[in-house]
Amino acid sequence: MSDESTETVAVLNTTSVVGIAVCFVLAVAALFALPTVQSRGVSFDTAFWIVSAVELVTALGIAYFVLNLHEERG
Amino acid sequence: MDPTVLQAGFDVLGDGRPETLWLGIGTLFMLIGTFYFIVKGWGVTDKEAREYYAITILVPGIASAAYLSMFFGIGLTEVEVAGEVLDIYYARYADWLFTTPLLLLDLALLAKVDRVSIGTLIGVDALMIVTGLIGALSHTPLARYSWWLFSTICMIVVLYFLATSLRSAAKERGPEVASTFNTLTALVLVLWTAYPILWIVGTEGAGVVGLGVETLLFMVLDVTAKVGFGFILLRSRAIIGDTEAPEPSAGEASAAD
Repeated sequence: MSDESTETVAVLNTTSVVGIAVCFVLAVAALFALPTVQSRGVSFDTAFWIVSAVELVTALGIAYFVLNLHEERG
Repeated sequence: MDPTVLQAGFDVLGDGRPETLWLGIGTLFMLIGTFYFIVKGWGVTDKEAREYYAITILVPGIASAAYLSMFFGIGLTEVEVAGEVLDIYYARYADWLFTTPLLLLDLALLAKVDRVSIGTLIGVDALMIVTGLIGALSHTPLARYSWWLFSTICMIVVLYFLATSLRSAAKERGPEVASTFNTLTALVLVLWTAYPILWIVGTEGAGVVGLGVETLLFMVLDVTAKVGFGFILLRSRAIIGDTEAPEPSAGEASAAD
């Protein structure tokens, strides 16, 4: 078997790139969303924990997508 | 303790908040950092370097949005503590929930530890920020200080993990990675330790320093811990080694002549 047949190339995973972008946009939006959430009758504490949860989940999402940013193609 | 009101700043928006000067400067520095990292990383093709750039660009990116929301007063609320109303910039905590796991991910990638270690590190870090959040929103001094203590213990666990397990792993990757890792870990150890100290002497704790000084110091810590961290990481040879053509040494240049 030649070396060329086993050679793999790391290419950008489009899903991960889109995932990172979506997580970032959501995280930015959440930072400004608290007054809007509160205006719908939600208490500050609840709205605040929703915003915090979005920040944490988007950070974890980005960590996941960065760890899968490339895929090996033979 | 009676608060010693060491106020500083300038009311940029004319809404009675002198700390807006520092929040505006913080926004600007974070934006500059973000665009600098984007420009520096444009066209990078190395697989590992791309991962560092993706993380390091997003950290000041989200921080600039958090600072902007605080600048305009969106990321601000009031909490009553023992009959006194405190101004709490909650967007600061939301920012930390997003950025601190990613800063740790940068270090974990540098040390090349397994995903279980990364998950543990980020889990304890999230606990650190969430307990700090609960403390910030608590209404009695006892509850606030108890949560602060819990959060500080979590921070010590994270820093211990960095200084032991991850440091050993980074050392195995060679002198350049070990050197960069040690510099970044030293930066994180010093800066992250300053946060709970500032919290306890600031308006959310004992009130020894006023909101203006507190905001200024948090801004300096945030910019250094995010932009300064990224600057050191992305300039290190451990990262750029595979992405830029090495310059010939003086000896090689002479031989070519």
